[in-house]
Amino acid sequence: MKALGNRKCWPLIAVAVLAMPSAAFAATQGTAGSTSTGSISISATVPGRVQLSGLSDVAFGTVDPTVAAAQAEDVCVWSNTSGRGYTVTATGSGTSNAFTLSDGTNTIPYSVEWAGSSGQSSGTALASGTGLGGLSSTATNPTCSAGPTASASLIVRMSAASLQAAVASSYLGTLTLVVAPQ
Amino acid sequence: MALLSSDTGSFERGRHRNRSRLSALPAIRMAACALAVLNAEPASAGDTVRISGLSDVAFGSISNFAGDSVQSQSLCLYSKSPPANNYRITASGSGPGGAFLLSSGSATLPFEVQWSDSAGQTTGSQLLPNQPLTAQHSPTGAGSADDCSSGPGTTASLVIILRSASLSAAASGSYNGTLSLLVAPE
Repeated sequence: MKALGNRKCWPLIAVAVLAMPSAAFAATQGTAGSTSTGSISISATVPGRVQLSGLSDVAFGTVDPTVAAAQAEDVCVWSNTSGRGYTVTATGSGTSNAFTLSDGTNTIPYSVEWAGSSGQSSGTALASGTGLGGLSSTATNPTCSAGPTASASLIVRMSAASLQAAVASSYLGTLTLVVAPQ
Repeated sequence: MALLSSDTGSFERGRHRNRSRLSALPAIRMAACALAVLNAEPASAGDTVRISGLSDVAFGSISNFAGDSVQSQSLCLYSKSPPANNYRITASGSGPGGAFLLSSGSATLPFEVQWSDSAGQTTGSQLLPNQPLTAQHSPTGAGSADDCSSGPGTTASLVIILRSASLSAAASGSYNGTLSLLVAPE
């Protein structure tokens, strides 16, 4: 301690600190002998990634306008962030990405819900273009081919009022879902 | 094998020196054989090994989670342990108990280690932490330099594997770890 308190030693200490090897580990080679030991460092970077899979087209078929229609499906969302978190954003194919189906002239509005676990028949309503956060995935595989086979639920609904207001026809639309790490 | 031979020789010499020990010979011989089996091909004095030519392994940023990430390297494993110049190799990682684990804070990423006693290989025998892989052969020996500067340039292959399942299950982050390799003559 006295030596450390001696100001004459400070330059030496500074030089010693500057001369210390960096924290990065470098391979060490063994020496010849009755045994020999070598070592290496191994490094890898796992970037933050998400993947959405397991989506199926939704076909309501012929619907009864007096009864609301709903279809739910299990999907796989995989996220590798530390909390397995993600956000989901949905957009429709209607005007300004509205959630509407169209026959070319007429439209029917529909709603979209998302649940952060599989097997659900209801969830949190999504607004077109607005991300829903605070979700976490249980998937351990990007396509759920191992571990849980699904990790979220997508629900699409058409209200009876919307169906009753619609002109009889065949309607078609596209729903786009974007997931992002969170 | 060298220990068994020398031990047997001492038993034979002892038999001539003291016949009263003769009755104990079968048991001792069996014990010696058992020892020889448990410690296959122990080294003789003067046997020399050296591992060199090792390089750090940097996988970089993983872009493909659907497949395994594999890195292999050829290195110099010198063994002068007549007659076969065999050796054993034991690996240990920087995880708990020598586990083959990379770490990023509290997150871990397991890796696998394979060894081949031939250079230029991309697969080999799987190494388990702290468990020796025996009966490996080196083409070096008398007349070769222990750093492979003469004789075969490289004599063995080390393969590090990050399995797809492990990569998919790992949290994002920068992972680091070390692998130590201990070789001994046989």
